[in-house]
Amino acid sequence: MTTVQNLDRLEERQARHTLSVQSLSKSYGEGADAVEVLHELDVRVEPNEVVCIVGPSGAGKTTLLRCLAGLLPPSSGKVMLGDQEMTEPLSEVGVVFQDYSRSLLPWMRTKENVAFPLQGRGMGRSQRMALAEQCLDAVGLPAVGRKYPWQLSGGMQQRAAIARALAYQSEILLMDEPFASVDAQTRFDLEDLVLDLRKRLGISIVVVTHDIDEAVYLADRVVVLSGHPATVVDVVDVPFGMDRDQIDTKADARFTEARRRILNEIRH
Amino acid sequence: MSTILAEAPKQLGRLLEQVWLVAVLAAAWWFLSANSTSVYFPPLSKIMQSLVSGFTTGTMMRDVVFSLSNILIGIAVATVLGVAVGILIGELERLRQVLDPFLQFVRSVPQSALIPIVIGALGIGQAPKIYMIAFACFWPVLLNTIDGVRSIAPEVRDMAKSYRIPTTLRIRRIVLPAALPQIVAGVRVSLAVGVVIMVVSEIFSAVAGIGHYINMAGSSFDISGAWAGTLLVGALGYLLSVSFILFEKGTLRWYFDSAALASHGRIKTTRSRRKAKK
Ligand SMILES: Nc1ncnc2c1ncn2[C@@H]1O[C@H](COP(=O)(O)OP(=O)(O)OP(=O)(O)O)[C@@H](O)[C@H]1O
Ligand SMILES: [Mg+2]
Repeated sequence: MTTVQNLDRLEERQARHTLSVQSLSKSYGEGADAVEVLHELDVRVEPNEVVCIVGPSGAGKTTLLRCLAGLLPPSSGKVMLGDQEMTEPLSEVGVVFQDYSRSLLPWMRTKENVAFPLQGRGMGRSQRMALAEQCLDAVGLPAVGRKYPWQLSGGMQQRAAIARALAYQSEILLMDEPFASVDAQTRFDLEDLVLDLRKRLGISIVVVTHDIDEAVYLADRVVVLSGHPATVVDVVDVPFGMDRDQIDTKADARFTEARRRILNEIRH
Repeated sequence: MSTILAEAPKQLGRLLEQVWLVAVLAAAWWFLSANSTSVYFPPLSKIMQSLVSGFTTGTMMRDVVFSLSNILIGIAVATVLGVAVGILIGELERLRQVLDPFLQFVRSVPQSALIPIVIGALGIGQAPKIYMIAFACFWPVLLNTIDGVRSIAPEVRDMAKSYRIPTTLRIRRIVLPAALPQIVAGVRVSLAVGVVIMVVSEIFSAVAGIGHYINMAGSSFDISGAWAGTLLVGALGYLLSVSFILFEKGTLRWYFDSAALASHGRIKTTRSRRKAKK
């Protein structure tokens, strides 16, 4: 497992804002061809919370996440950061994309990839690189900054993508099926990394996943989407707090109960 | 270190593979034409003599410099303009839709169709030839740049948007490198187009250039001189494309390396070899 040493040196970026959607609907297409995918959703992500979004394939999880990121304008309803309406991507919200092999740029070394968004903010090179170094350390990749992303394993690439979001100093991380294509052991490590970052940095995290075990293990609340168009059919509170353990937590009766409840809602 | 030694015979083998046919053909030409009395097919030895005397006592050196500077300047201009306009069109969806019929038309016109126009439209000086080369070479670069920009993965665009990368930085560090493999392929095509336009433009209206040299030799019945000029054009084209391939390997190293990794599971580059040495 990753030992995380350097987080204390990372800048304070504790989440201060609630990210929420208010009666959000989203349709694709125009006029008569329009298909409503999301119908009147209300979801809140409180500071320092981990919220997981689950639902059957095609339910609209990615659509919701893109709305939360400010990448997709809602058809009706609002996306709010604190009491400010979000109409474009904001620096408070960082995104870790599902397809890390594409979202990391193959012509930049890993450290440059991590530092790159900071260049857009006008941060000087040496400062950028130092921060990127720290963030790579924080996700357990201390020695690969000089390598290209395609020289890294899938799990390492996803860590690098997380480091990039951290370096950008977002207080809310949005992740779309972040661990879908890594092996089981790497997946557990990355899940623990997420929980660790939440605990030590005080950031909020939203994870879209189709893996219900993963959702319950990570989340303080699991939002269940289902139907066509999708609505929030349930919000399940998970009472395990900040400290969780792959074996003990998953053996807990409350874990099994939450898992059963969500499975039933998705299957029907 | 041992890997380098092991690779050396392999590389020599590859070189031989490429060279043997040229060598055999040259030798065949040399011996078959040795006793030729035909006016149009002089002995290769005579052609070589013309080539040497062209350089030592004739105008050949000046002609090569003239031609070479035309094509290099022409392609440089075409590349700069083609990439700039291509990125503009590729990035602006509306503009691309408006221009699409025109671009489809351009795509289906072969560059060689320009040759009659080249012949008709040209003045004597150097500038019109550079314009003509630039004009012909512009299109392959433009079309490839547009394709390259259009094929950038949506994930990459999302990434740029969500990290609020400013436009100029995005063009410089994302769009341009992402489209570079396609752009380079376009330049490679325009290199071949450029050589043809270069020679043709010099044959019909010029005071210098290899094409001019060929034309002058031909019209004064110095057939071996014309052959020498033709061989020189071939050699020049070959040298240009070889140096371009070297340039390509240098600038697109990440592209070749990641592709090699994807297909073979290991990287075959000088860099990884250098690392292995330590
Ligand atoms: N750009 C688009 N244009 C039109 N329809 C779209 C678009 N993107 C998604 N959809 C449709 O919206 C629905 C929800 O898609 P979305 O990608 O949000 O689902 P998802 O829950 O993320 O699915 P998965 O679990 O398979 O990733 C699907 O039916 C899909 O066909
Ligand atoms: Mg999805």
